[in-house]
Amino acid sequence: MSLNAKWVPMRWPCGPIEAARISKSSPAASELRKTVEGWTQPSALQLVRGTPINCLVVDWASGTADDEAQQAALRPLIAAGRELGLSFVGKVGTSKNPAAIVTAGRAAGLQAVMMDRAASMDASASHPLDLPVILGFARDSIDWDLTTDIFSATGNVWPGVVLPTMKGDTGVGGPTGDPWVDSNGWFALLSRRMVSDQSLWLEIDLPESSGVLPVESYCRAIADSRAYGSHWVLSLDDAMRAGMLNGDPQAISAWKSISAALCFFEDHSEWRAFEPMGVLAVVSDFRGQNSFVSGETLNLLNRRHVQFEILDRRGALGGAVNGLKAVLWTDDDPPTSEQHKNLLDFVEQGGLVIAPQYWGPAGGVPRQEYWLSGYNIYDLRKGRIVVAAGGFSDPFQLARDTHLLVGRENDLARLFNPGTTNCFASIGPGRSKEIVQIVNYADRTASYLAVWVRLNAHGAKLWSPNSKTPISLRCTPESGGTSFELPELSVNCAIEIERTV
Amino acid sequence: MTVKMNSSRRQFLGAMTMAAGAYIAPPALLSAQHAPAGRVAVGLCSEYNRHVVDVLSAMFDQLGGLEKLVRGKTVAIKLNMTGTPTMRLRYLQQGMTTWPHPQVVGALVHLLGRAGALRIRLLESALVTSEPLQQFMFAAGWMPGDFERAANRVEFENTNYLGSGKDYARFMVPHGGLLFTGYDLNHSYRDCDVFVSLAKLKEHTTTGVTLSMKNCFGITPCTIYGQDVPEDEPGLVPTGGRFLLHSGKRQPPKSAPPEVNLNAPKEDGYRVPRAVADLVAARPIHLAVVDGIYTMAGGETPNRHAAPIHPGLLVAGTNCVSTDAACMALMGFDPMADRGTPPFEKSDSTLRLAEQLGVGTRDLSRVDVAGTPIAKARFDFRRAWNTTV
Repeated sequence: MSLNAKWVPMRWPCGPIEAARISKSSPAASELRKTVEGWTQPSALQLVRGTPINCLVVDWASGTADDEAQQAALRPLIAAGRELGLSFVGKVGTSKNPAAIVTAGRAAGLQAVMMDRAASMDASASHPLDLPVILGFARDSIDWDLTTDIFSATGNVWPGVVLPTMKGDTGVGGPTGDPWVDSNGWFALLSRRMVSDQSLWLEIDLPESSGVLPVESYCRAIADSRAYGSHWVLSLDDAMRAGMLNGDPQAISAWKSISAALCFFEDHSEWRAFEPMGVLAVVSDFRGQNSFVSGETLNLLNRRHVQFEILDRRGALGGAVNGLKAVLWTDDDPPTSEQHKNLLDFVEQGGLVIAPQYWGPAGGVPRQEYWLSGYNIYDLRKGRIVVAAGGFSDPFQLARDTHLLVGRENDLARLFNPGTTNCFASIGPGRSKEIVQIVNYADRTASYLAVWVRLNAHGAKLWSPNSKTPISLRCTPESGGTSFELPELSVNCAIEIERTV
Repeated sequence: MTVKMNSSRRQFLGAMTMAAGAYIAPPALLSAQHAPAGRVAVGLCSEYNRHVVDVLSAMFDQLGGLEKLVRGKTVAIKLNMTGTPTMRLRYLQQGMTTWPHPQVVGALVHLLGRAGALRIRLLESALVTSEPLQQFMFAAGWMPGDFERAANRVEFENTNYLGSGKDYARFMVPHGGLLFTGYDLNHSYRDCDVFVSLAKLKEHTTTGVTLSMKNCFGITPCTIYGQDVPEDEPGLVPTGGRFLLHSGKRQPPKSAPPEVNLNAPKEDGYRVPRAVADLVAARPIHLAVVDGIYTMAGGETPNRHAAPIHPGLLVAGTNCVSTDAACMALMGFDPMADRGTPPFEKSDSTLRLAEQLGVGTRDLSRVDVAGTPIAKARFDFRRAWNTTV
């Protein structure tokens, strides 16, 4: 038995453990308890028939007195689900006797368990577990050396606009002037690079809401994870689950839209093989005390629509810097001697390295640029090493400075009338095809959005979740590249571009 | 912080367009009769192509030629790149609606270079950023290298903060000023011999029209006149728009000249036209160029009420008030209009206030209009807007 990278996961809250959670959070909610009972029934599985969801994540053990009843309640559900071709992953939230819990899960039909590192270590201390494990991490303390073929992360953000963008007739922004957008895209990209053969499942707490979340909000969470190469463990709010069970037309309609959003990415599974594009590489070990500055810088570069590559500092740089224009070395740790040589060669051939400390040739005399406060610039043959005088402390400033140092003339993609949209460009095998995925993080439709890419294109198709057939886009040469005018955008779309070689 | 007074050379050149009497009498005593008139040239140009150079060249000849104005001089061009670089009206590039088109910028740079300008500096106070102006241009899809190739020694500066200067340049308004006694600006507005305002032919929500004079509202650095500036000294980087000038809810840092009357109305229709009139009196414009080949009606920045239009016009003049008056007439407005009359439904007339400061006349009966007559070139903005939207 092994973990399946093609699983499309959904959290399936049911049974006594979920009932206990509801009783604790809203004791008077009898309707919710009915919903939990309903979702525990095998008949509820009909809701996922015809959708791409093929893996249900259920609570298997929480370390409470409810566990035995929970497992008993789940057995018929799991058996029925297996008949329908569904896989089940059991969440184990306890380190008490985990080996026995896992063995019981296997007997009940689970195909994997999800547990955190401590529980996993306890469980596997004496002998191997009966089921494969999906290891769970908190995002800010992920151990890239211990991840499993599928691993999950908590502590993610609910994708969207955090602050309102309008106050009456007046536009307002975040502390940085731009709309404050939350996205997990950067983390998915980081994961792709750090553990390229493994799949990241994002666990995201639903936002506090008094009612049903807008369907666009669900679709956005799907798009924000899948466009960048991760899976959101789909999770529905209580009202939505009740509505679906009761056949509420609005809930059913929303569910169809959510399913369509998932189908969109399943129908284009070939895009998973596309590689992120960038002329800038961000280098860090992305671990421990380095993880905040490097991670947040990725987040904020992404928010500036900067396309980047990621390199693990613990690996060899070698040819990875070939073809790049710049390297951002975010860690205080200096490069190894081999990396040092790679980087100096890169600079001498015209590359730019941005670093928190100078480790170039001795005797270098720095210069300053008036617009770049706090940096020393060392010219080295055709290239530059730019050193932050006081190290890197503010990721926002670092992302801004990096973008300007690399230069917008090297942008690979730009959005016009972007509002709160963002884009992610990737290139396919053979480099003849490029995909630009676009996600709208606002509840409002994005209008008159235009995308510019730095390439000559002879054809482009627009793919949207609400249509199985693409729209042909007109390719307009502009500023040394090609621009495309997009129709109104609700949540997400992708432009498939044929490059002119 | 140190502030240097604007140079006498600048004042000397400013005299080309400003009546001597304007320096003597206080604003209230100045009369429109004393305000100088400058020649204005109107050219028809239907597209942004190679003809732009030819049309502009002919227009500058009609004004008496560029050479005597710019040969051997440092020329600063204030562009009109208002708003953010990624915001477009519908799908149209900024040059087709809100900003002067890069073809016009390039043509002007080329002609200035051909006329012997020693150094040409492209200036803009890029919105809420201290990044280099070229980067702001790239973000909009412009190619600043095209401008660098259009003439020798072309430079760029973002004037929204201290920039490459060591100090701010202080420009006192003759006779005390209408809103402020003086303004502290980026050094680039002092360190030039000739000052050109290259604007777009547009209406403006606050000031009725935004032409060569209103373009100069953007010469004020947001480190001094912007949102959230420090109490005592200028900020290091711009942190917001020019709300201080719009609303008057607070004063600039103590290092800058104060407001003339702290009890003045806090309404932007009163304040912004006065700030603009002050600025063009304190920092005279030697050459005004207005791009109206393609533009927009219904506002100054992209908004859902605005519409792209195609007047097919270029306008230039040596007096900014007279040039803007001709522009207003070309747009279908009466340049003698004032508050309550289109386009000044919500504001005082910047033209009238600048005229009052002795900068120039808005009375077209006193202005020599060369090239295409206004009557033949008129493009009614309001009518076009009504039929387009």
